[in-house]
Amino acid sequence: MMLNIKVILFVAFSMLILNACSQVRPWERGYLSKKEMSWDSDILESALNDHIFFSKEASSGGNNAAGGGCGCN
Amino acid sequence: MVKAPKMQHSKALRRKRRSRSLLALSTTALALPGIATADAPPTESAVSYKISNYKEDDLSRREVLFGDLNRYDIDVHQFKLVSPLGRNMAINFDANYETLSGASPWFTTAGANGEPVVNLSGASGIHDRRSEASIGARYYLENGSFGGNIGYSEENDYRAVYIGFSGERHFNSDLTTVSLGFSHSEDEIFPTDAEIFNRIINDDKQSSSVFVSVSQIINQLSTFQSAISITEQTGFLSDPYKLRDVRPEDKKQFAWSNSYRRFFVDADAAWHTNYRYYHDDFGINSHTADMSWHQNVGKSLQIVPHLRYYSQSSADFFTNIDNPLNPLTEYQSSDYRLSAFGAISGGINFILELDKWIVTLSTERYIAKEKYSAYKVSQPSTALVKYNRVSLGFDYSF
Amino acid sequence: MKNIKAVVNLSKSIFAVALVLIGFNSSAVEEGEVLPEFTLPSIYEGKAEISSASLEGKTVYLDFWASWCAPCILSLPMYNEMYHKYKDQGLEVVAINLDNPIEDGLDFLLDTPLDFLIPSDPEGGSAELFEVIGMPTSYLIAPNGEVKLVHMGFRDGDMETIEAEVQKTLAEN
Repeated sequence: MMLNIKVILFVAFSMLILNACSQVRPWERGYLSKKEMSWDSDILESALNDHIFFSKEASSGGNNAAGGGCGCN
Repeated sequence: MVKAPKMQHSKALRRKRRSRSLLALSTTALALPGIATADAPPTESAVSYKISNYKEDDLSRREVLFGDLNRYDIDVHQFKLVSPLGRNMAINFDANYETLSGASPWFTTAGANGEPVVNLSGASGIHDRRSEASIGARYYLENGSFGGNIGYSEENDYRAVYIGFSGERHFNSDLTTVSLGFSHSEDEIFPTDAEIFNRIINDDKQSSSVFVSVSQIINQLSTFQSAISITEQTGFLSDPYKLRDVRPEDKKQFAWSNSYRRFFVDADAAWHTNYRYYHDDFGINSHTADMSWHQNVGKSLQIVPHLRYYSQSSADFFTNIDNPLNPLTEYQSSDYRLSAFGAISGGINFILELDKWIVTLSTERYIAKEKYSAYKVSQPSTALVKYNRVSLGFDYSF
Repeated sequence: MKNIKAVVNLSKSIFAVALVLIGFNSSAVEEGEVLPEFTLPSIYEGKAEISSASLEGKTVYLDFWASWCAPCILSLPMYNEMYHKYKDQGLEVVAINLDNPIEDGLDFLLDTPLDFLIPSDPEGGSAELFEVIGMPTSYLIAPNGEVKLVHMGFRDGDMETIEAEVQKTLAEN
């Protein structure tokens, strides 16, 4: 019972928070659509960096799933 | 009822026109959430090529007891093609080719004063090539997209076959995007000169990875993304070339990434910042923070200074002096990548947009040191890398 | 127990309010409805303003676009072709530009001249009025003001659907 309340409250609360952000209309997204505002503005550059850091550091993973392995690590 | 401000034609004419290729590319990137416009495949095809040189600084004789002082020097060629296919699909093809030469750490011993010193592979060094190719397709729905890719990578001692699937959906008037993905890789290791050096003849490993991410438009100028990925690797996870390297056959990795983007209208620039927390059951924790400033200069040039900080703790079984008397059943590795260290890197990129072309020059300097570590360094490592990278990239849309 | 019920009821109301705030407050212009009234200046200085009243009695293809929207700029040259093909049969094309600043829209038009009417609405009041839910969105309006088609997004091949509807509406009137 308590769990349900928590879940409902959480959902309602996050929806309210999301709604607080929701003032950006579809035609107001000119700045957001700029290439330099994308998550990954140069895909080859970030792929290369990921590959280098993967082979020189112990950490990997992030906002996408891993690709293939290499003998570099 | 709706009044436009007074037009300033002369001003409009003076302004240089924005490159169309840029706009096309902004919708070709398969990894991007469709935050700005109705979801759709790219409107144009784009082909990209990047050539890079990666060169590690030589070690000094003080650090190296035996072997070549020249470390890795790698040339990388990357190629990518993204193309719309019909009204609802996009396909992509990627190819990479790397040539590598230099020496790599072989084993570590104690020097004259008991300090750890590294022994690099022989003067002949290593010459290797890596070739990789992958193809993928993505299908665009009204409210999201899903896609997959399959790839193959080959070196003279390593082979990997991998697949990946991902899907994303927009909610809340396209202000929120949720992505889910899965990937799997089957890798095979067959060290060179295995019989001469008593290395394993061949072995394999498997990696499976899942991720979930949530992206949110905060306001007209900023967006936020948070993502979690979990990876499990099983099989031969040791380094076959090191004299004494025994690691567990199972590794679970967890990463939590956060990204923030903000546009500054007056400066005509975008600010990127990312933070990642990482943990695995080898005992390694790490923090990665980076930021970059994407400054528009006029309509066709962008200057991007970037800075990154990384720090990790050591693996539970890391040792900086190999103990050849340890039983092989006991985990140990002197791989510097499993030691506690920190790294600072940074550089500056120049992006020039010319009609259908984009030319990118990127530079980076990377320095890893144990004193940069945010974690306690109980055993200082050997052979931490410093490197320079320079890349030249071309994008063409048609 | 009573307290728990109260909390449940409260959270149910919060949930309901959140739902209403998020999804159910839209009064988007839909097929079968009548074109809302609007008046907008042309993006070109010195040209006459464009209003719903001035479009009365015509078959109108009305589009909302911005220069930063890739599917929009894919669609506009095709709308220009459609305009030339059917203008003698009475088709009017109106593409409301939502660029803010307006100069971004004009930059695009310097590269890609378009011969139909282009009102400018940098504040987006008209898009608000139509409750545009994605970019681009376009509307086919019969001479009696009735909305015959609402088209969201623009992909390869969409032009055939749009043109078929335009032909149908022109033929009916």
